[in-house]
Amino acid sequence: MPILDIKNLTLEIETAGERVKALDKVSLTINSGEIRALVGESGSGKSLIVSAISGALPQKFHLTADRMSWKGKNLLSMPTEERRQLMRREIAVVFQNPGTALDPSATLGEQLMESIPSELVEGKWFWQRKQSRRKSAISTVHKVGIKHHRHYLNAYPHQIPTDISQKFMLAMALISQPQLLIADDPTRGMETTTKTQVLKLLTRLNQTKSLSILFISHDLLAISSMCHSMTVLYCGQTVESGRMKMLRKRPLHPYTKALLDSAPSFQKDLLPKSLLPTLDGTIPSLKHVPIGCRLGPRCPRAQRDCVITPAVRRIHDHTYSCHFPLHMEKL
Amino acid sequence: MRILLRFSILFILTLLVLVVLSFALIYLFPGDVLNNLTGISAQSEAHRDMLVEKHRLDEAYFFQFTHYVSELFSGNWGQSFVSGLPLKEEIGRALPATIELAFYAMFIAVVIGIPVGCYAGLKSYTPVDYSINSLSMVGYSFPVFWLALLFILMFSLELNIAPLSGRISLLFDIPHRTGFILIDILLAKDIDTSLAMRDAFRHLLLPTLAISVISTASMIRMVRRSVIDVLNRPYITAARSRGLSRWQIFSRHILRNALLPVLPLMAIQITTLITNAMIVETLFSWPGIGNWLIQAIYQRDFPALRVGMLAVASLVITLTITIDLFNRLIDPSRDKYERGTI
Repeated sequence: MPILDIKNLTLEIETAGERVKALDKVSLTINSGEIRALVGESGSGKSLIVSAISGALPQKFHLTADRMSWKGKNLLSMPTEERRQLMRREIAVVFQNPGTALDPSATLGEQLMESIPSELVEGKWFWQRKQSRRKSAISTVHKVGIKHHRHYLNAYPHQIPTDISQKFMLAMALISQPQLLIADDPTRGMETTTKTQVLKLLTRLNQTKSLSILFISHDLLAISSMCHSMTVLYCGQTVESGRMKMLRKRPLHPYTKALLDSAPSFQKDLLPKSLLPTLDGTIPSLKHVPIGCRLGPRCPRAQRDCVITPAVRRIHDHTYSCHFPLHMEKL
Repeated sequence: MRILLRFSILFILTLLVLVVLSFALIYLFPGDVLNNLTGISAQSEAHRDMLVEKHRLDEAYFFQFTHYVSELFSGNWGQSFVSGLPLKEEIGRALPATIELAFYAMFIAVVIGIPVGCYAGLKSYTPVDYSINSLSMVGYSFPVFWLALLFILMFSLELNIAPLSGRISLLFDIPHRTGFILIDILLAKDIDTSLAMRDAFRHLLLPTLAISVISTASMIRMVRRSVIDVLNRPYITAARSRGLSRWQIFSRHILRNALLPVLPLMAIQITTLITNAMIVETLFSWPGIGNWLIQAIYQRDFPALRVGMLAVASLVITLTITIDLFNRLIDPSRDKYERGTI
């Protein structure tokens, strides 16, 4: 049973009188208790999906979707207040760039404590409530691996290193005890040991509290070790989506294959000093998106049919959109 | 602590430069130095020598200057040619009147400007915002002397709501204590306090309004711009996505971040404010420093000019530095050891 179900999400940005589809029919489902990875190059629209789910899009972006629901409730037609309560209690978001996502004029402690929904605070009088807030703030801070809580809770965002503020963002997301955590690159810029700690924490929360996670990252190694399923995004289109194991064993879409091949840790028979296989070119800018399958100009298997957008095809719970998929003979 | 030291050094040095300038003024004015300084043409050689010795004009510039500074500190600021009164006393009466006027105008600007500016910023790019913005633009563009004249024409001469000039009706005899009329009324004994207050307020109304229109308009524009800036920051988006209510976001994240950059701009506004106050004083015959200085210019009262200029400049510097210091102390994102600036 999916808790978050998005089907054919299209996001249009108006620039100079022209509408550009920044997201083109993106589908994404997250089951309860699942860790789903969302991967794609920079500029493929991952962060836009995060903003769309959290309702933080600017007015000039036009959002349409066949279905966008949270536990069966339609998110698009939900009244603002209900949506706000939902974001306060059930969904939590860790944004990219922790440095700018923290208010520079408030201490980290204040910001952390205000993220606690009022029903999680014990006590009747304000001093009791304040104490309870402080207690849960300290325990959450410890949980994400910050030791000197006394120092960091009273610090301002510009006084702390980036990886600590990243952890604080995570703490702020987790302190409201959400059911879904949307983590937009939560381990960026951390060194390996800290990263492992954070990933372990997320995995543990997933197992013990059945926290669902939408994990957005570039780090394929981390993704393959902790995520159950993966959705691959290219230039605002979902190219392939399915269980992690299946995708790794038999990627059907050429882009998924290229992505996995570009990570050296996944290749066992890689000769020393050999070139890593990559796709030529770069991801197109939104002003010049190709028609049809947007991978077309870079795709090694592209043929004439690729100027028509491929329909989404499905094999069990593995979906892909490609006219000429790989590995079909084995199926 | 270190920041206080830095600011006080800056303050003292700036004052020193001002004192040097005011000292040099007497040599820069046209005519004989001795004449400028005393206002008396010496009748005889002996008289002249006496005056020269009194003002130490025969000594080197440096000693003249130290003499000037020590005189300033001992409270002997010289005498006005015109009234013959000590300048210290005259300035002591005129300066508070100006400060009072400027303070009320600033108060109105803050009390009206900040809420309206925030409202316009939060409703940015809607018809409400556009109308507030264009109104404030209109208010900002009025020349202050023209506005004051218009007020006199409309409210004093046509509608007869407010009096034309002065601080308080001559019927009330308010002894001079602090120099601030409202406080003096409260301190004064045997007068009808409420009646005097009402009269003083009616006198205050037009000049304050004339100055505050411009200050309020610029305050609205500054606050609006700042709020719009803050609204586009990622931390506001992040706060929204945490599901905080609109009021929580406004009071905890928007307001503080929007007002912090407005404060130094306010310090810059103070110069404009005091200049405007001085212009308006002349029109309303308000017995403030602006009016007094203009009289001094007409009478070529050079000692009055130089000390008056020094007093006004010191006031502006003091306010600017105080606001900057205050801003430095409350803004956590600014380095505590950053150097002071004016």
